[in-house]
Amino acid sequence: MSRHKISLTVNGQRYDVEVEANRTLLQLIREDLEMTGTKCACERGDCGLCTVLLDGVPTKSCLVLAVEVDGHEVTTVEGIAKGEELNAVQQAFIKHGAVQCGFCTPAFIIAATALLKRNPHPREDDIKEAMGGILCRCTGYRQIIDAILDASKR
Amino acid sequence: MPLPKFDYIRPRTMKKLVSALAEHKADAKIIAGGTDLVVLLRDKIVRPNYVIDVKGVRELHKLSWNKKLGLTIGAAVTLNELLDSDIVKQKFGVLWKAASTLADPTIRNRATLVGNICNASPAADTAPALLVLDAKVEVVGKKGKRTVAIKDFFRGVKKTALKPGEFVRAVKVPNPPEGARGDYLKWGRTAGEDLSVVGVAALADSSEKLVRVALSSVAPTPLLVPDIEGAFRDGGSLDEKIEKAVSIVQSKICPISDVRCCKEYRLYMAGVLTSRVLKQLLGVVDVKA
Repeated sequence: MSRHKISLTVNGQRYDVEVEANRTLLQLIREDLEMTGTKCACERGDCGLCTVLLDGVPTKSCLVLAVEVDGHEVTTVEGIAKGEELNAVQQAFIKHGAVQCGFCTPAFIIAATALLKRNPHPREDDIKEAMGGILCRCTGYRQIIDAILDASKR
Repeated sequence: MPLPKFDYIRPRTMKKLVSALAEHKADAKIIAGGTDLVVLLRDKIVRPNYVIDVKGVRELHKLSWNKKLGLTIGAAVTLNELLDSDIVKQKFGVLWKAASTLADPTIRNRATLVGNICNASPAADTAPALLVLDAKVEVVGKKGKRTVAIKDFFRGVKKTALKPGEFVRAVKVPNPPEGARGDYLKWGRTAGEDLSVVGVAALADSSEKLVRVALSSVAPTPLLVPDIEGAFRDGGSLDEKIEKAVSIVQSKICPISDVRCCKEYRLYMAGVLTSRVLKQLLGVVDVKA
């Protein structure tokens, strides 16, 4: 199997790593870079829990080969807060109790942060549409939508 | 679980892409968005020794429109890039609508239109839209370029007209005739991401001279229903003509029962959606079907 030297930026820091062709971006983040905020669940693009930003765009990292991100920029949930200061979406998730078991939370934080950057004042329908690729198995969607609406007003 | 082993190749030019594919032929699979391929690799449904990435070739990222030639969609153009295009939204409404129903917005950031047709699922959402728009598929291989009409591109479940060593460089969509409008209605089990129970695309103009209908999830391939215009040639009220069109559609499709629903329901819903989309496009106010 081919091995590839790649360099990528994760949460503002550059990494030079060597990966095998079959390594996914999700494995690279969790196992090689040891950032476990990004979750691994279905590994087939259905649940969206592995969502990260790839060049600012929400992307399911289980469906991306690590070698494909050579030269690109990745943001994980670890890179969302500024030091100790949580971003507006994270604060709103706490306020609205939008976290139940918490397994889907990093993905929703990532996707909602990207949504508000692209569309600072989304309607509820815009939020439902943009979050459509992420599943919450506790089915706590109401609180998640409320939190994102609230974050958009901050 | 790790993916099975393979070598990854990322050619930087068309020439290198053509020769890499010519060298490995059926032993290679193309990756663009990867949203289908990575799942197929994981499930060991495809087992290539080589995965060839087309995203390294700059010209394949091109999405362009020309007054004469219409739309050109390169192999690396994502569905969200297509949805962000005002030209696509204004002039190719049926394609825009179909792309907007495919999977979910996160998948669409990565998935490509060309990948959607090369995967050749009977449920491919963009396929019925491309069929009613009479799109052309630009195929490239070592022997050069050839053009395949989209209706000849699908050859069976997950089978296309591509020969080993060939790939799709772009899909070309001619401008729809003046006055023609289109829409795609997708019937699914949920409002969120799912494959369609039935999908119906139509393109029609109010003179009823041009009426095309194509469907997904009702046959081994996405299907352009031949001679729908026949229903509109004779007299009768618009409702009667649309009823005839529905009968034609239902006589040409052969749906199966699967995890999503039974074949009888697909047959019925294909009729409902055909009637609904034609009434909408041909100007009947009551669209309740």
